[in-house]
Amino acid sequence: MDGSETSVDYIAFMLRGVWAKKTRSIGLAFAVAFAVLIVVTLQVTSSSLEQSAAAVMSVGKANITVVQKGVADILSSTIDEGELGSIRRTPGVTSAVGVLVGTQKVNADNPVFIEIGINPTDLAAFGVTVVAGHPYTASATNQVMLGWRAAANLGLHVGDRFHALGTWNTVVGIYSTGNAFGDAGAMFPLPAVQGYNRLPGVVTLVFVKVANSSSSRAINAVVRRITYAMPQLTTITTASQFGRADVTLVYLKAAVTASSVLAIAIGAVIVGNTMLLSLFERTREFGLLRAVGWTRRRLIGLLLGESLVLALVGAALGVALSFAAISLLGQVPSLRGVLHVTFSANAFARGLATAVGMTILGSLYPSIRAARLVPLKALSYE
Amino acid sequence: MSEITNDRASSPVFTGPSSLGETAPAVELRHVSKSYERTTRALDQIDLRIGVGEFVAVTGPSGCGKSTMLHLIAALDVPTSGSVLIDGRDLTSWRDLSRYRREHVGLVFQLHNLLASQTLLANVEVVMFGTEASVHERRARARDLLAQVDLAGRERRRPTQLSGGERQRVAIARALANHPTLLLADEPTGSLDSVSAGHVLNLFNAVHATGVTIILVTHDLTIAAAAERVIHMRDGAVVADVPTTAPN
Repeated sequence: MDGSETSVDYIAFMLRGVWAKKTRSIGLAFAVAFAVLIVVTLQVTSSSLEQSAAAVMSVGKANITVVQKGVADILSSTIDEGELGSIRRTPGVTSAVGVLVGTQKVNADNPVFIEIGINPTDLAAFGVTVVAGHPYTASATNQVMLGWRAAANLGLHVGDRFHALGTWNTVVGIYSTGNAFGDAGAMFPLPAVQGYNRLPGVVTLVFVKVANSSSSRAINAVVRRITYAMPQLTTITTASQFGRADVTLVYLKAAVTASSVLAIAIGAVIVGNTMLLSLFERTREFGLLRAVGWTRRRLIGLLLGESLVLALVGAALGVALSFAAISLLGQVPSLRGVLHVTFSANAFARGLATAVGMTILGSLYPSIRAARLVPLKALSYE
Repeated sequence: MSEITNDRASSPVFTGPSSLGETAPAVELRHVSKSYERTTRALDQIDLRIGVGEFVAVTGPSGCGKSTMLHLIAALDVPTSGSVLIDGRDLTSWRDLSRYRREHVGLVFQLHNLLASQTLLANVEVVMFGTEASVHERRARARDLLAQVDLAGRERRRPTQLSGGERQRVAIARALANHPTLLLADEPTGSLDSVSAGHVLNLFNAVHATGVTIILVTHDLTIAAAAERVIHMRDGAVVADVPTTAPN
């Protein structure tokens, strides 16, 4: 007899055992659900913020994004014109577009509106298509192009006026980048944004395109040349490399991991405590099962199986609660425009792993203790 | 009461080892002693042989060691000294005593020890989990046994919905589920009224008729009289071992 029984009647036997202690089982499932809620919510929030950062990087459709190394967040990056020139002269680089990115609150619905300062000569290389009106000129003042999403959200058209950079600007064009984040912002002549932010000659990010863009070797060669020549800068070619530039994101992910571990640990303690109480209540039952020939392994299997049932119920409940919590977070005014909620499979996999992990962890010791009961003593337990 | 069947040879759930010899007694105790905490001697140099298919009652006053002896035979406890042999084989040679209890022994307790959260069917099936019997065979065997103890149609009930006598009948059905060669009962009628006790005793007689060796611990001499042989114990020792005139 081993612990691998999975027949219908055995599973029914297990489920009746769980259902027999309804209050305790429901309480335990809620404890699991609460831990899953914390883990999934933090995970989704963190990955959403990461995706927002990734969206900024991917507006330019570049092979490589160059950022100042070790800044708190990517929008704090500063790269001067000298460095931009060096990047442009790097062998293998076909174009390098420097942009200055800022944000402003337009209204309650757009608390974090993206403003991109870019020279009109770089628009094509940046992947911008003007879909209405025309581009601004390099030295224009008080001219702006709106992304088509921003124009639609704000109800503005070519010829309308839009308040940004501390003044009223005329909308001269509507553009599309094919990137939701870029299309929800506005573009200005680079000097206008530099002047408003008092950052003359400075850009935030440099979007680099490589001659042989389909070759990872060619891209890596350019990366090596840039980082060798300018060690104060770092390069990003994939979303997973954002941490090189965005320290806040790294800290946030670390905090998410720490909080998740803490939630699992607390949950496991609650599960363990509840299972121990259950062990005392069910001592005679376990003694009987051992007396009639159940092996220790089978008894551990039964108890872990019961825990697994509760873990799955708790995971389902936790995921449902996290859906609600994240939807509520998305309604918080200060998070609109920053938190683009995406429910990834990874987040739910983590939720499930949390539920299973904490219940197995918490119930392992009580299960082993139950299996080590001396049948005769357990049968006479009062 | 239906006829009890315990056909090990033809049963699909029989998984136990073959008998170690026709001449070996079903149970043999050789110089068995059992002490608790060095001072209390529950059994003192017991020597006893119980033949295959015998129905033996063990009687004596409280604390005389009769339950202790039963626990040693059931491998729920180990002797301080001496040997317990089942079918000629020393219990200490069993690598897995859980298997011995599961495949050779049927246990009936005074307080039934049924699982309150489970149905009657599951209470009988529980001892068959992990055996080679299929789900269908387990279910059929449990239904059959419940029918044999006159509880057909009540398989989905819970133990709390039954009388004491009915619960004990479920416990007997459970004890027989794996076709044991040895049925060990510790005061099975101790908590029953005389009518229920009579029903339970009839069941034991029916089981005995199938060739199962029965050891029944009781302080009730009327119950003991139903056995073929009565062993009387006092202060951890066998003081009398006599056949009865019971019509077995």
